[in-house]
Amino acid sequence: MIPDDYPKQGCKILLRAIVTVLTGAMLSACVTSRLEHIKEAKTGILEGEAIVIMAKSYHLGNETEEKFIQCVGDSIGRGRGGLRVIPNQEFVDALFPWFEPRTAPADTKGLPALMSRPGVAEIIKEKGVRYLIWLDGDTDKTGGGGSMSCAIGPGGGGCFGFAWWQNESAYEATVWDLDGLETAGTVSADVSGTSFLPAIIIPVPLIARTRSKACKGLADQLKLFIVADEEI
Amino acid sequence: MSVAARYPAEFDNYVHEEQVIGKEKWIIDLGRSNRLLFTQLFGAMFKEFTVLEEGSDARDLTIDALIEPSIDAFEFSVPNQSQTDEFAVWIRYRIKIFDSAGVQVANWPIAAYGKSQSSTFGGDEALRRAAVLAMRDAAALIIMQMDKSTGISKLRSTNTQSNSALPTVIPDDENIQTTAAEEIPDDSG
Repeated sequence: MIPDDYPKQGCKILLRAIVTVLTGAMLSACVTSRLEHIKEAKTGILEGEAIVIMAKSYHLGNETEEKFIQCVGDSIGRGRGGLRVIPNQEFVDALFPWFEPRTAPADTKGLPALMSRPGVAEIIKEKGVRYLIWLDGDTDKTGGGGSMSCAIGPGGGGCFGFAWWQNESAYEATVWDLDGLETAGTVSADVSGTSFLPAIIIPVPLIARTRSKACKGLADQLKLFIVADEEI
Repeated sequence: MSVAARYPAEFDNYVHEEQVIGKEKWIIDLGRSNRLLFTQLFGAMFKEFTVLEEGSDARDLTIDALIEPSIDAFEFSVPNQSQTDEFAVWIRYRIKIFDSAGVQVANWPIAAYGKSQSSTFGGDEALRRAAVLAMRDAAALIIMQMDKSTGISKLRSTNTQSNSALPTVIPDDENIQTTAAEEIPDDSG
């Protein structure tokens, strides 16, 4: 026997199927990731030691987004085996004027001179900063195409068309060991992805979240890089 | 070393107003922040520091040097103009230094630069952040280069030499970064 609410149930099932397919598609917009690290010195971190994540100076042409720095810091500090991350503004303020965009050391060669400045080594020790991580890179739109038109009238509105765009998130983290005053190595994340926006009445965005993927990948890799005492 | 600062009225009440063509009007009030910044900065740099209030005469004070800051130019760009998602601020300060006899001994221009992403802070907040970064940039330059550029420490009188000095170790400027982006854009065409 066919139940009375058969058409309603049918609609619900169809709706669920559409939502499932769309959700799946949204989660699976094409993303390609490459994570690499180069270790130049032994690493490791003791209890109470902390890290600071900074963006390379914009005077050097760097355009790393504040959001990305925040994301990497949060990811490194979160979860099992999370490291102690000191907010970069707190660090920069405590050491003013030595880590301003114009004055921050560009490489580890300047570290011994910086550490000999009055108060610098003491503040770094007091805060327990062991590693300084310099982020470089950004997310760019590298291509795109398609077209879409939307219209609205008394009876409703809708869109029709198809658009796509490609993003590339390329970031590199250089790790400075403030104990040895040397570069411990670099970790890089290169994530590219294509987002799609098909529209038949309602636009359905299938977004490739390259930046958040790069953030997560870089943070996980940095955690491993710092904690793992592997052969160089 | 005993130093006083005199803030001219136009510095104290500096407000920049600009209508970006076809877009919104921006009003940036720097007066109070500038006064606060320079007072805090010089207060940390010199052991004896006083601010000369309006109507006071520098000749009534026993000081080694008088500092008079001013703003030569303030410019900013919004994302629509730069075709990026960034707000940028350029401030050109000028610092004049007078000795105890009131003779001008230095006239030092400082070009400061700051930028901030609009996506992070939103329009108003991003512009404010860029201005703060430019002011911090100026402060860093003053700490690192003031003595070299103005020779202010040479004005220290013999009676204050023994017990007062610039408490900040004036560093060399070999690591100071500069870029073309710092240059105030030329709108003359």
